[in-house]
Amino acid sequence: MMIENPYLPIKTEVLNVIEESPTIKTFKLKPEAPIQFKAGQFIEMSIPGKGEAPFTPSSSQYEKDKLEITIMKAGRITSMIHNLKKGDMVGLRGPYGNEYPLFEFEGKEILLVGGGVGLAPLRALFLALAHDIEKYKSILFCCGSKTPSDIIYKGSVLDKWQSLDKKRIKFRITVDKKDDNWKGNVGLVTTTLDKLDINLKNSVTIVCGPPIMMKFTTFKLLETGYKPEQIYLSMEKNMSCGIGKCGHCRLGNFYACKDGPVFRYDKINHIHEIWD
Amino acid sequence: MDLYFINKPNLDRLAKSLSKTYKVFAPVKSDNKRFYRKIGENGLGDSVIGEIRAVEPIKSFYFPARTKIAGYFSKDDSDKKEKPIAIIGAKSCDLVSFKVMDYVYAQEPFRDPFYISKRETGLIISSDCTCYGDTCFCVAIGIMPYPTEGFDINLSELDNGYVAETGSNKGEKIIKGYFKLFQSADSYIEKRDSNRKKLKEDLLEHVKKSRIPPKDSIQPAFKGKFDSSLWEEVSKTCVECGACNMICPACHCFILMDQKKENGFERLKMWDSCLLLSFARVAGGANPRKRLAQRLRNRFDKKFNFFPDMIGRFGCTGCGRCAEACPGKIDIREVLSKLQTT
Repeated sequence: MMIENPYLPIKTEVLNVIEESPTIKTFKLKPEAPIQFKAGQFIEMSIPGKGEAPFTPSSSQYEKDKLEITIMKAGRITSMIHNLKKGDMVGLRGPYGNEYPLFEFEGKEILLVGGGVGLAPLRALFLALAHDIEKYKSILFCCGSKTPSDIIYKGSVLDKWQSLDKKRIKFRITVDKKDDNWKGNVGLVTTTLDKLDINLKNSVTIVCGPPIMMKFTTFKLLETGYKPEQIYLSMEKNMSCGIGKCGHCRLGNFYACKDGPVFRYDKINHIHEIWD
Repeated sequence: MDLYFINKPNLDRLAKSLSKTYKVFAPVKSDNKRFYRKIGENGLGDSVIGEIRAVEPIKSFYFPARTKIAGYFSKDDSDKKEKPIAIIGAKSCDLVSFKVMDYVYAQEPFRDPFYISKRETGLIISSDCTCYGDTCFCVAIGIMPYPTEGFDINLSELDNGYVAETGSNKGEKIIKGYFKLFQSADSYIEKRDSNRKKLKEDLLEHVKKSRIPPKDSIQPAFKGKFDSSLWEEVSKTCVECGACNMICPACHCFILMDQKKENGFERLKMWDSCLLLSFARVAGGANPRKRLAQRLRNRFDKKFNFFPDMIGRFGCTGCGRCAEACPGKIDIREVLSKLQTT
């Protein structure tokens, strides 16, 4: 066939499985042919003979032949993925969609707001930003989780980076509901956006999380003074083919899979049904 | 755009000969409807070249309801040599649907090799409609009941044969290759043109009673009705069967399905329906179109709002198949008329 078959998965080995929380695991994967994604782009991961679903890699785009995908057990495919063990084979296609426009973030104070498994693409973004940290003025990473046991990336981002460039990189971590051992903030992730020490005029903010979190975070950011063109959202839609053909992920005149999944809010704020 | 005349026995000879290199399909009539049938050595037989479109949309040949598109981790075996497809008797509305399909499947950067190879190798010998069906409304949305573009050869049926018009190099080559089957069209063109004019006028008269808004006011009217109760009302009789999607020549949506096979696994591309609850649902259950009325509106949004913005034409060909197929008697013409009246 003259044209490359875009539906063909690349054989990929599961190198490691990291249990992040009771419902979230990170899978370290090694595809037979490297998949060179950029932070924000997504891939389609499949279990042979069972089906496929879209995920945004959570690892650094600078790691060449391996990638990590953080997945919450939420449906049929993700439940099967959660049963995968080291050495199992899966299929990967991609990368698809657009990336976070890092060059637009240069010299800016960057606010990342993530909720739950929505932290996955933000981790990839954070790692890409941290790779060239001198290009950016600062990063404030606001992370929300349901409970302390739902907090992910404890070892890989939070501990490691919190101790690093304190001046440039700061974290605000909150849980919706605390347990007996929790000494940190309690409240929805929107509460971490109070009293921001950020020059809004020179800031961009990137949000990812479940639909309801994205909605209220965006509204809160607007209230705080961010303009729609300063807010970047990673939209989760049903991206089946990943290449703008199958029709499932249409969002107004866009397809989330090829025109997104990263959208600047001013480009989509007129579209109906974006938060559902 | 050269014109010739071919008589009926000669068209039959042409079809027989083409069947050696192509899988040739032409409509035959059954129960007052037309269905495509494969033509072989026996020729056209009782095929109906004129009349109106077949029941099946032409996408069935180029984007079949179920296609194997990949194995797992094995060399792609989908390029085994198959005869290309030739359709005889495709209608204007069928050809217009290619505008939508081509836009979707040939769009960069990821082109669909399955669709494209069938399109590139296929042959289309279309034909004028010689009558109209009850649900036909192409002229109301600016589409003529006779092909104006998108064919290799077009046939306009007359009493004893057809005016054949070339529409592509491929069509010209075929006519050159079978030149002795053709003769001058000079004395037939006037009759062809008057037939076309008469049918267009009759059909315009037929669609008048549907009160479909003028072509250019459909998209603005849809936008104005986005939050209208019209969609709740229309969806009352929808049973979410997806028949309107399956039968629509311009509905292109599909779903990828993986399944076990004897020696491994395979991936299928299957027609999907935006009326189904699961169409836009994501893992975890979030669904931008939970209500049926939203999904029905989405169908019209895609056809009469999205596609005009994308390709400057509707994702609807006026073929009326959906109105025929709907068990809930939802008639696209009525919905369009209500965009303006309710």
